[in-house]
Amino acid sequence: MTTQAVITGNGDERRTLVTVFLRGAADGLALVPPTADDHYHRARPRLGIKPGAAVKLDERFGLHPRLAPLAGAWAEGQLAIVHACGTEDQTRSHFEAQDLMEHGGVVAGGWLGRWLQTRPPERRGALACVAVGKALPECLLGAPAATVMQSLDEFAIGGKAPRFGSQLERLYAMERGELGAAARDTFAALARIEAMRTTAYRAADGAAYGRDEFSAGLAQLARLIKADVGLEAASIDLGGWDSHIAQEGQVETLAGRLAAGLDAFRRDLGPRLATTTIVVMTEFGRTVEENSAFGTDHGRGSALFVLGGGVRGGRVHGAWHGLAPEGLERRGVLEGYGDLPVWNNYRDVLAPVLARHGADAAALAKVFPEWELKPLAGMYG
Amino acid sequence: MTLTRRHFVAGGAAAVLAGGSGCTKADVAAAKRWFGKPAAPALPKTLTPPAAAEIDWPMHVLNRLTFGARPGDHARVTAMGAEAFIAEQLAPARIDDDACARVIRHEFESLADPESTLFPRQDDAKDPLAQLFPAMKDKGARVGHLYEYKEKVLLEDLTRATLLRAVLSERQLFEVMVQFWSDHFNIDPSKADAKWLKAADDRDVIRAHALGRFRDLLRASAVSPAMLWYLDGRVNRKGKPEDRPNENYARELLELHTLGVHGGYTQQDVIETARCLTGWTVRDRKKFFRGRVEFQPRQHDDGPKRVLGTEIPAGLGARDLDRVLEILTAHPATARHLAEKLCRRFIADEPPAAAVAATASAFAQSGGSIPATLRALFATPEFKAPEYRGTKFKRPFHFVVSALRAANAETDAGKPVIDHLLRLGHAPFRYATPDGYPETATHWRNGLLWRWNFAAALAENRIKGTRVEPAELQRRLGGEAALMATVLGRTPTAAERAAFAESEAGLALLVASPGFQYA
Repeated sequence: MTTQAVITGNGDERRTLVTVFLRGAADGLALVPPTADDHYHRARPRLGIKPGAAVKLDERFGLHPRLAPLAGAWAEGQLAIVHACGTEDQTRSHFEAQDLMEHGGVVAGGWLGRWLQTRPPERRGALACVAVGKALPECLLGAPAATVMQSLDEFAIGGKAPRFGSQLERLYAMERGELGAAARDTFAALARIEAMRTTAYRAADGAAYGRDEFSAGLAQLARLIKADVGLEAASIDLGGWDSHIAQEGQVETLAGRLAAGLDAFRRDLGPRLATTTIVVMTEFGRTVEENSAFGTDHGRGSALFVLGGGVRGGRVHGAWHGLAPEGLERRGVLEGYGDLPVWNNYRDVLAPVLARHGADAAALAKVFPEWELKPLAGMYG
Repeated sequence: MTLTRRHFVAGGAAAVLAGGSGCTKADVAAAKRWFGKPAAPALPKTLTPPAAAEIDWPMHVLNRLTFGARPGDHARVTAMGAEAFIAEQLAPARIDDDACARVIRHEFESLADPESTLFPRQDDAKDPLAQLFPAMKDKGARVGHLYEYKEKVLLEDLTRATLLRAVLSERQLFEVMVQFWSDHFNIDPSKADAKWLKAADDRDVIRAHALGRFRDLLRASAVSPAMLWYLDGRVNRKGKPEDRPNENYARELLELHTLGVHGGYTQQDVIETARCLTGWTVRDRKKFFRGRVEFQPRQHDDGPKRVLGTEIPAGLGARDLDRVLEILTAHPATARHLAEKLCRRFIADEPPAAAVAATASAFAQSGGSIPATLRALFATPEFKAPEYRGTKFKRPFHFVVSALRAANAETDAGKPVIDHLLRLGHAPFRYATPDGYPETATHWRNGLLWRWNFAAALAENRIKGTRVEPAELQRRLGGEAALMATVLGRTPTAAERAAFAESEAGLALLVASPGFQYA
């Protein structure tokens, strides 16, 4: 029995879905290199991650060395990966691809927003949906009430008059019915946040957040989840992945931030990870072959990570057919390796995640209309 | 005023008016004011606040027909009679609204109806719209210019204009109905070319017919370029034998726009309706004449159809559209569905059956005249019944606008105010699915924190571009009690008076209080 059950009054444990968007097209073949595939090393003679350098995941794949902090989650079965994941659309424009993926196709509104819309009204509390950052991301368009925040300090009753809040509470205490109940819920959530604000936050033991914005944002989200304010969905970005030139240093820095943040978040949540899912996605991957500037160009499939409760972790899910050139996607008459195809459509990967968070078939049809869903099997046991 | 910002960008025009390049900031400001800068309207002479302890009849009419009473409105409506006010609001063309129109013209070049077009007008003989609906000809030529704008600019302009009109317009019922129909025929402009074309839909569909005839509104919506994008009508075609019609628009047309979900239609009716509409499409932004609506006879399924028991013979081509819309408009389920929605908006979340029946009957008898339907609704005993007064939970947009109006705020409706609406989950043109923002209180009670914070930010002048003078307003109204009664629409309760005095938060507390959340 959690306090949350008392707040929502429905005896149901609330779950939180956090999406992390790696903007700029993260190189899935650097983050999760198919180290056992000779074609990989032939296509990337200088940039390829050597089997000895990578963190070994299984017989096919390794992790980028800077993602080593995620090895714990992998070993404990909390982290699953889907490779060659992306959208069916051929666009290689960042903007267009992000838009399409966040909308879930040529559809109005965002997929996460539409999902939140299918949730029962009593789950749409003031803090049900939070976007960390400066603006609402496209994936949350259409959410019943999304809050863009950079800091928890924004969750407070404003107003210079010192007794504004207390007198409001007095007036709303006299309200019977559902408005009174909604007001009491709000004051209760605010009291919990206020308590958090006035005590210095100490992340759970072993959680070492980085000093960057990404880690800071995740730490705020962990506080909200642990405070039981009714967070159903959250989004946060980690940008800067467009690695056309000399990508090694760039990818190392970002992979380091990503892994430090995610691992700290996982440890910080502790038992609450069981009711939390973090999905890490990007708009498209990068060319299989490195370019002459020690970088990679816009490609197709990339890697997607699912970290959290219930997932069958410690394995790479979905289709994977290796990097033999004949199986790759060609652009025009280009020689060489071409692009890693999208063997796993992102919607089919998100479907079982949403199902884990309470979406039934009817809800999924609203979240991803006009797409014949073939939910990826085996992600959840 | 014949100059438009299309020819003179704001600064340049201001500079010209101020006499050349040596103008000061003050000159520019003065010139902008001359163009019609948003300003708090002057308060009327008579500001007598409501004196009853409960919402009285004039206040009730103001609560429901407007986005909130301004100081002095209650006195004016009491003096003229609520019935006369209703009649006035039902005939918006006769209400002088020049001040508001001037602000909109000045602020939003993108929303103006272009006087000339870059492209030649389409030959009437070739324009399927001109053939079917002469009033709608040249629509294609009037949307292309929208693509000249960045989509973010259009969305911002549309959003701001909607808010400004709700705050400033004297044609309040018209603006309320614009919102009603914008929800009824909801289009989320984040989808594809609707980003550019929703502005035309707002102008040529919603605002053109908000208090007109439902038949005209429905027709305009059916061939609105933005709607053809939003609900995929543009790809509903039967060119090859194996083509299956795209049913998306047809389904929503029956379920949402006309009959209602329990309106007695079958899946076969959806398919037959979609077949009637095959071939109607819109040119995309990669083509010439982008945004132009076209009928492509070769993509039309010209066989016989049967919709809701009525035969539509083969060979009608583009005229299928008009046939099917006639069948839907005249269907009793449409009258009932619209009456129920209108009564939910104007009377109660659970609309009383007798009022729905009377409203549906007026709709049917008037051939779908929207003013006649509303006139009947406002005349029902249920609309007048004291038990329903002050019981409609304001949706966030209504809450924000009613606060701006009650406080006689000056606002540019800029991003800082819009950000409050976004946080409240009710900014215009941000609703993804075709059912439009929900009407009932259930969906809106959870945003209280952001209502309270809007109230505090407004009262303390922390919303950039928006300004209130609560102390001056209280002085003009004649004191604290008068301010409370003006904002709440009735005399305050003892508890409200005590909280007001003890909190020292004044206007913020009033706007945030439970009483102000209801209309």
